[in-house]
Amino acid sequence: MNWRSIGAIISKDFTLFFRNRFFVVITVLALVMFAVIYFVMPSSVDETLEIGLYAPVVPPAMELIQGAEEGLEIVEVESEEALKKGVTEGAYVAGMVFPPDIMEKLALNQPPEITVYFASDMPDEIREVVSAIIAEMAYLETGQTLNIALHPKLLGRDMAGSQIPQRDRVRSLFAVFVLMTETFGLAGLISEEVERRTAWALLVTPMTVKDLFTAKAVLGTILAFSQALLLLVVVGGMNAQPLIIAIALLLGAVLVTGVAFLMASLGKDFLSVTAWGVPALVVLSIPAVAIMIPGPVSDWIKAIPSYYLTDTIYQVSNFGAGWSDVWRNLLILAGFNAVIISAGIAVLRRKFQ
Amino acid sequence: MNLRHTGILLRKEFFQGPKNFFFVFVFVVPIVISLVVTLVFGTLFADQATLGIVDEGDSQLVPMIEAHTSVASKEYGTASELKEAVAEGAVDAGLILPDDFDSSILQGDKVELPIYVWGQSLAKDRTILVVTVTNLVRELSGQEAPVKIKTVPLGDRESIPWEDRLLPFIVLMTVTVAGVALPGTSLLHEKEKKTVDALVVTPATIGEVFLAKGLLGVIIGVLMGVVILALNQAFGSQPGLLVLLLFLGSIMAAGIGLLVGSIAKDLTSFFATMKILGILLYAPVVIYMFPELPQWIGKVFPTYYIVEPIVEVSQRGGAWPEIAINVFVLIGLNIILIALVAFTITRKRQYAV
Repeated sequence: MNWRSIGAIISKDFTLFFRNRFFVVITVLALVMFAVIYFVMPSSVDETLEIGLYAPVVPPAMELIQGAEEGLEIVEVESEEALKKGVTEGAYVAGMVFPPDIMEKLALNQPPEITVYFASDMPDEIREVVSAIIAEMAYLETGQTLNIALHPKLLGRDMAGSQIPQRDRVRSLFAVFVLMTETFGLAGLISEEVERRTAWALLVTPMTVKDLFTAKAVLGTILAFSQALLLLVVVGGMNAQPLIIAIALLLGAVLVTGVAFLMASLGKDFLSVTAWGVPALVVLSIPAVAIMIPGPVSDWIKAIPSYYLTDTIYQVSNFGAGWSDVWRNLLILAGFNAVIISAGIAVLRRKFQ
Repeated sequence: MNLRHTGILLRKEFFQGPKNFFFVFVFVVPIVISLVVTLVFGTLFADQATLGIVDEGDSQLVPMIEAHTSVASKEYGTASELKEAVAEGAVDAGLILPDDFDSSILQGDKVELPIYVWGQSLAKDRTILVVTVTNLVRELSGQEAPVKIKTVPLGDRESIPWEDRLLPFIVLMTVTVAGVALPGTSLLHEKEKKTVDALVVTPATIGEVFLAKGLLGVIIGVLMGVVILALNQAFGSQPGLLVLLLFLGSIMAAGIGLLVGSIAKDLTSFFATMKILGILLYAPVVIYMFPELPQWIGKVFPTYYIVEPIVEVSQRGGAWPEIAINVFVLIGLNIILIALVAFTITRKRQYAV
């Protein structure tokens, strides 16, 4: 291994990268856009159904329901007009108006008429829920009991009241995007060397194929790692366990470098490299999207290497996971890296030979 | 401008195109993304609380829950499957109904029912599920709500489900991928291979070369737009108007593709430009996805005048009078864009001379 040659190639590629001012500006702008999107997104999760209530007399059952349900907030207002204004402006999902004689009517088993105001764009499910809450209040108030007791049993960590905002969920997605975008740059540099046949020119110097690959791998890793690291620093993704996140990003950068090698070997020019790169970007982004919107994550997602990167960033930055929680992820990611880098080098070496 | 020359060049584009991986890509990617977005994201982004059920008997509660719009339900075969789904967040909560559930309720026996709750489910979703299930069990037991509820909608805004919010993104992506990428990359490919220089020494002019490439983008853009609208069953009652809008949208996309393609010096610069330009192109659909954002912001971006009329016709049942102003703005923008492309062609011709 000739480190002097490797250093010279890295230095040359860096110069080429930064000489193209336009490319540099665009790269910086893309990072800025990700950061702007992050800061524009809501920083908290609205977990409660806020329902406005105008009632000269509030039935005790209503307070009972509100006390029992942490996701429900009944806000009393002073007039029907204020209630309508609140509903129209989106302060409440609905507004209930109880008649002054509600208690008398319920006591006499005469159904009182309750008016419920909704914003016209409120989904049907919210309308049904509010109707169900009112009905439940009336059942309780008239003493109609139900011989059913629902016993909640929590599965997993209880996040009620401390939900993760969407913007924090997407941090790992952003990191994967930034890392993956860099594969286009590296694959493009390699394909350019192939297209212009400068790779063969380099190989007639004392430089070996191994030196050339090492130089490209180091360059790709540095470019991808530094950008993803910078983005996560800006959006607060490094606040918890920065060492673990940095190692995960470094492994992610090596992963995308391996993918870039594979892309460069598949495509014959920059255009086809890009064409191959988009499906790769889509596939590697799937775990990040699945983590962002939890639920239907199937086991097959774990066959995608980026799962171990996104899961690590997600667990560490959002749930404060430590080494004991994520070491398996890092180990598996390192294993994937070894396989993908080896495969990438093998196919690219064949192309050069 | 010789139409015969343009026709020959266009035929060449269609004949040579399928040999280019990117050409195939333009056909495949929008369809794949449309299917993925509709099937996966349409469900993932749904705001409804979800309830998993294991019915050990044949409870009438299950069809009642299925018919209720306030919750989405999913049946599981076994208790362990249900618990696993809840633990992973596939559903917000899970109920196991014993085989004698209905008879117990009808006989007024006390029923203790565990409800498994996903730790990350929102507090309001937990409330919705508990209130809905309790209400439906009351219905099942024959109780009648001692209250009349009158609902009054306020305002004239519509509720837009996520599947519908995502449609403009899919349509715009289809039109822009074909319209921008095909003419742009084709032009750059010719520039890089120096074949464009060979072409302009034939009777064909550079204007005809540009026109043929632009027509390629427009034709494929309209074709793919029609396919995507058909796949999403979004033709509404004005298919002719939609095709006109796709045509005008494709002209804008092809104009952008030709403009960037003629300015960029290579494919790297082209894709780097599109990386940042893409944010501007897709900004109106992002704003449309989130109705809580001020919708006037979208009007700043040129693609708004493609997206808004398409949404008006395909989702709101609009006709020509509702979209006329936006269509005229779109035509105006297209004229400016065509003038810019023509100016670029003139400059290129001067350089050639």
